[in-house]
Amino acid sequence: MNSELVQTAAPASAREAAPALSARECERSSRAALTLRVLAPALGAAALTALFFALLVWPLLCLLLGSLREGNTGDGAFTWENYRTFFGSRRMLGALWSSVWISLLVAFLSVALCLGPAWLLVRYRFPGKRVVRALFTLPMSFSGILIGFLSVIMLGRIGAVPQFAEWLTGTPWLSGFAYQLGGVLLAYFYFEIPRATLALEAALRKLDGRLESAARSLGASSGQIFRWVVFPQILPALLSTFALTFCVSLGSFGVVLIVSKRFTLLPLEIFQQIIASNRFPLAAAMSVVLLALALLVTLGSRWLVERFQPPVPSAR
Amino acid sequence: MNAARRPWLLLALTGLLLVLIVTPVLVVTAGSVLNTSFLGLASEQWVGDGRDAEALFTTKWFGYVLSTYQPQLLMSVRLAVASVLGCIVLGVPAAYLLVRGQFPGRRFLEELVMLPLALPGIVVSIALIQAYLPIRGSWWFVLLGHLLYTLPFMVRSVASAMRSFDVAALERAAESLGASRWQRFWFVVVPNLRHSVTLGSLLVFAVSFGEFNVSYLLCTPLTATFPNALYATYTFNSFQVSSAATVIFLAVILPVLALIQWLGGDELKVEQGA
Repeated sequence: MNSELVQTAAPASAREAAPALSARECERSSRAALTLRVLAPALGAAALTALFFALLVWPLLCLLLGSLREGNTGDGAFTWENYRTFFGSRRMLGALWSSVWISLLVAFLSVALCLGPAWLLVRYRFPGKRVVRALFTLPMSFSGILIGFLSVIMLGRIGAVPQFAEWLTGTPWLSGFAYQLGGVLLAYFYFEIPRATLALEAALRKLDGRLESAARSLGASSGQIFRWVVFPQILPALLSTFALTFCVSLGSFGVVLIVSKRFTLLPLEIFQQIIASNRFPLAAAMSVVLLALALLVTLGSRWLVERFQPPVPSAR
Repeated sequence: MNAARRPWLLLALTGLLLVLIVTPVLVVTAGSVLNTSFLGLASEQWVGDGRDAEALFTTKWFGYVLSTYQPQLLMSVRLAVASVLGCIVLGVPAAYLLVRGQFPGRRFLEELVMLPLALPGIVVSIALIQAYLPIRGSWWFVLLGHLLYTLPFMVRSVASAMRSFDVAALERAAESLGASRWQRFWFVVVPNLRHSVTLGSLLVFAVSFGEFNVSYLLCTPLTATFPNALYATYTFNSFQVSSAATVIFLAVILPVLALIQWLGGDELKVEQGA
């Protein structure tokens, strides 16, 4: 399959030349060439589509169907019961609500705070820039549990920060902060740093610096330049980064799995339904809600991004 | 931007975030080799009271983790390597197809390939279990989940390279010079893709090795990955053992991340779940 697909690179010249050949010549041209040009891409596309239907579309359909059935086997009678249980449970609705607003808050924080380093990395040259950049990508493959653990050793009841504070001032400041809302937000922000910074950096790199120079030469202040020149240009990137960080936070449960003491989030509830109660249909219904929310935000942000795409400056 | 003026605010913010990122890593590294209660959780395996110089520094927890969680570590390495190979075999042709192919539904297929990145890992793992319950015990099953989440990175890396170096123009030039199909592929396309495939492979390795959200439910005790072992140490073991396990994880992942940066992580973008 590999070699066949690779051969699909029918050069444009060959493709353009094809109609010029007479019908008889076409017939005479080896059947293999025709196969490679027409059949191979079709076969490749079919194979790739089939693979993703088997790995993604079919499982998601099973999830949807499973959420509408009784019992764990997936062949029970049709029922709305799982959704009724979900939307009737104060605890689960609370988890959904917490998930949404914590993800919103984290996404907002990530976009706002990571714009600084992204701007610095794009617009300035300084010694050790590569190292700084590398360090900013560090949390990228830390899973939530690892960050939860780091949060506990730093800000747990006898974490490093409270102990240091006690040694310094006599009071264990921030003791147990990891288990509070602020600690959870901080841990979530931790894994969003590389995601937000890299996404914003890519967008800022495309920014046309000449527009800012032009605005400056016309007497605009830094604030005015940001508000009227930079901001409209990066608004789509801000929106898509917001959606990206929101979705990552929404699906993450590792941090709260480690530090959950006070509150719960929707993915953690799903996890518990499976691990502790083995209630697959209910977990499936909750998953469908989570999935719908993630897709809604992703598609919504794309629609907004297209709406706010600035017109291309004609002077370019 | 006025180059003469130093961006103090940006520097301060960046410095603050750097401290936030790096300090926990340093603390956990210190905690893994020091026999002390200073850092973090109380430990039942805490030895001595700190005055015993011999007991202050120890590497024994690494040995403990490596022997206890060796199967999980090997499983993660195996999954990561298999993901890399799978992504090369599937992802390079797929990228070629998506960039060069002209067929109806190409955009849709591209969306489908990138879609997993937008989906919560736990949801996809539950969906996979519902669809393929009978093969749950096999490590192949976990590999499928990993492939789903790593393939987008390889496809994007290769596809962006293909879009930038204009494979069609180069191939046409080679063809006009009399190169055959295979010659064009081996001497024009492959050398131009080497860099992006290397970068993509490193990314795939890093993502697969650190993956927890999808793997945790897909795994059975026999196919548990190293992040699963990390979770086990956080839940059941002492602070030192957990720290040592974390440091072992970092020792594998940090060189890979450094290599990604060094090879040109400028075009890097990550959005997989945490």
